[in-house]
Amino acid sequence: METQLMNTQTATDPRQISRDIKMSARGVDVFYGTNHAIKDVNVDILDNTVTAFIGPSGCGKSTFLRCLNRMNDTIDICRVQGDIKLDGNDIYDAKVDPVQLRAKVGMVFQKPNPFPKSIYDNVAYGPRIHGLVNNRAELDDVVEQSLQRASLWKEVKDRLDAPGTSLSGGQQQRLCIARAIATAPQVLLMDEPASSLDPIATARIEELIDELRNDFSVVIVTHSMQQAARVSQKTAFFHMGDLVEYGDTTQIFTNPVDQRTQDYITGRFG
Amino acid sequence: MVSLTKLSLRHDSAQNTARLKRRRAAEKRLKFYGLAAIVVSALALFTLVWSVAGKAGMALTETYVSMSIPLHTAELDPDATGDPAAIGRANFDGFVKDLLKGEFPYASGRSERRELYDILSSGAAFELRDRVMADPALIGQTVEHSLLASDLVDLYLKGDFGQLIELPATGFMHLTPEGDSVSVQFDSPILIEAMDALRLSLREQARQTRRQASYEENGRAFYDAALAEAETDADRADAEAQITARTAARDVLLAQAQAFEDQADASGLDAELGLDSPSILVHTGDVWLHMTHINASGGRAEVWGELEENLEIQPGQWRAAFTELSSHQRKITDLQIAIVETLRDNGQIETRFNARFFTSGDSREAELAGIWGAVVGTFWTMLVTILLAFPLGAAAAIYLEEFAPKTRITGFIEVNINNLAAVPSIVFGLLGLSVFIGFFGVPRSAPLAGGLVLAVMTLPTIIIAARASIQAVPPSIRDAALGLGASKIQTAFHHVMPLAMPGILTGTIIGMARALGETAPLIMIGMVAFIVDIPTGITDNATVLPVQVFRWADFPERAFEYRTAAAICVLLVFLVLMNGFAVFLRKRFERRW
Repeated sequence: METQLMNTQTATDPRQISRDIKMSARGVDVFYGTNHAIKDVNVDILDNTVTAFIGPSGCGKSTFLRCLNRMNDTIDICRVQGDIKLDGNDIYDAKVDPVQLRAKVGMVFQKPNPFPKSIYDNVAYGPRIHGLVNNRAELDDVVEQSLQRASLWKEVKDRLDAPGTSLSGGQQQRLCIARAIATAPQVLLMDEPASSLDPIATARIEELIDELRNDFSVVIVTHSMQQAARVSQKTAFFHMGDLVEYGDTTQIFTNPVDQRTQDYITGRFG
Repeated sequence: MVSLTKLSLRHDSAQNTARLKRRRAAEKRLKFYGLAAIVVSALALFTLVWSVAGKAGMALTETYVSMSIPLHTAELDPDATGDPAAIGRANFDGFVKDLLKGEFPYASGRSERRELYDILSSGAAFELRDRVMADPALIGQTVEHSLLASDLVDLYLKGDFGQLIELPATGFMHLTPEGDSVSVQFDSPILIEAMDALRLSLREQARQTRRQASYEENGRAFYDAALAEAETDADRADAEAQITARTAARDVLLAQAQAFEDQADASGLDAELGLDSPSILVHTGDVWLHMTHINASGGRAEVWGELEENLEIQPGQWRAAFTELSSHQRKITDLQIAIVETLRDNGQIETRFNARFFTSGDSREAELAGIWGAVVGTFWTMLVTILLAFPLGAAAAIYLEEFAPKTRITGFIEVNINNLAAVPSIVFGLLGLSVFIGFFGVPRSAPLAGGLVLAVMTLPTIIIAARASIQAVPPSIRDAALGLGASKIQTAFHHVMPLAMPGILTGTIIGMARALGETAPLIMIGMVAFIVDIPTGITDNATVLPVQVFRWADFPERAFEYRTAAAICVLLVFLVLMNGFAVFLRKRFERRW
């Protein structure tokens, strides 16, 4: 029933879909040991679009996000079933190197987690290990551009050698975003990137996400419905491991189809 | 059912106030226990360092006897070749002994000669030879040379065998030659003290003799009773014979005791100075008078030196002294004391910083023994240990933590690693003996074998500490690296390892410190051998500092006791240096973030 629902939602503009699907998930089930965490989820992530995953705590939205770049591989008891495709290629195929996949599908975590190295080294790490640059000048350029796009450049350009951990919480999160951008991903996954930040830092991050949409497909998990409404074009509502509803953000927030969505966005549970 | 609002009233109840009071008292007590524990351990440490360092100080100087030595061509280079090899074959040992004989002709008997030769170290002749071989032109000249004194002389001069105590001597001293010896008359408080001591000793002898007599008396009483109960003639005869013998023995002993007492009470006591009473030495010019018998106004003495014609010695021309310890209580003999004192009076005794101790290898002679061989051996052994144990331990830890699937086999391996850390070190020595030396043919007594054994012993410690510190690296760092597309190996080596490095280094220090102090496993693999040469590599025969300490502590010579203490200090310095280096490394790694 939900699959049909989603299809009807995405089918509203078939032209756009056929052109712009970046990632697609079909019949995805995730198990933690015996716990069935994600149940038969079908989602299409569009290019140059911000997709928000919302839902109450423990609904599986972060778990699903981690499936998109196979971060769940690092958890021994986690099992993923179903098809997830990036540009039409199955990312769980045995031939796919998760390391390569994660270079294309970048991730920003809930808590800022800069490496305990200099600001420069933090940003330069991705390009270095993936061999994206040929010389120091190019690397400098990538670092500067990434920091600029994360709107951190002005604040740190004079102290690139300072440790990344010496920055404030909001700056650290922007550094992590710059670090993710520097690897030149095609999809950027953000797991509640603003949850530990104050409103000002949050606003800057949201602006940033909106800018990033020009180049990447962005998927953001958030607890804040306002944030989802502000930054995203598409919204998916998860509940108890089910994808309840997926559609245009304006539609989800103004005219939800499912009663549970209605209840959640109006604050009746969650 | 309690009411929560009423519950809050209990905060101020009397019962609660008392409870709070007990809690505060308990906190205070704990604080006191902690403080007391710290004070006690600080005191223990201080005492240890104090006693060890105090003894080690005795080993820091060495004594030389400086002499003008005429290097006769006839004896040292009879063919006048000037060839160092030919000179090296000359009998320098005999030459040096002749030199001593020339200086102290009065040491003429066999045992006196031996006492005389014991003044100098057996290494003294070698050093003279080396000097002459390096410069053959010296032959034919008279050179000033400092000959290394033996440990006996060194310890005597450091006061280890008691002092030679001089008391004021006034008045004339009269000498009357009596055959080999000389009768001496002088007045000194030494005589009064010596006579008192003699009397005390005689009374003690009398007391002991009387006790022996009482044993005989007891025996006689026993056979008296046996005689009364005897039934056969044979028994009776036997008992009677016993009684006669016992009575005779008792009477002899009683007479002896009486004689001792009479001697002690006599005003004109003239007695032999035994080996268990302090010796008295009288000194005039270059001549020493060694008192053999004393009485209230002098006594008889052995003469060491040539007496002059004039036998009336003026006040100020003679000195009398006694030794603090009796001959039994010290290793140095009276003759040797006289010789050393003569040398000291002539300004021929030199004290130098004992550089030899820090630059030479082991020796059977305490004064020649040095620590450098053990230091170098320790260095090579520790080098092998750290080169093996650190990479292996870190790699094992990172594999177990970051890569190994959590299966039963890895669980089993983990348990075994933890158990290995508690295995007695001597077991590792056995393993080294049978596996490394027996099976793989690693050279025995070599730092390679020792390093291998210690590395195996240290591995569990390093692995456990490294795993703990790898576990302590926040998972968010791993996520960050993996999320950027770093492989597991890149994540481990670029991010986890550097963060875990201080902890891994701490574990390595702990392991190395244990290895540095380890003796038992090295004894098993033969690193306890007597090795004079400084090892030049990991396959040379070598020993290490703790084993050297163990060996020296086992030697009976007093001088080795001080060298043992000094070796312990060197070991401690080695440990502090190693720890300092590790702390420096830690600080460097920590500063990077």
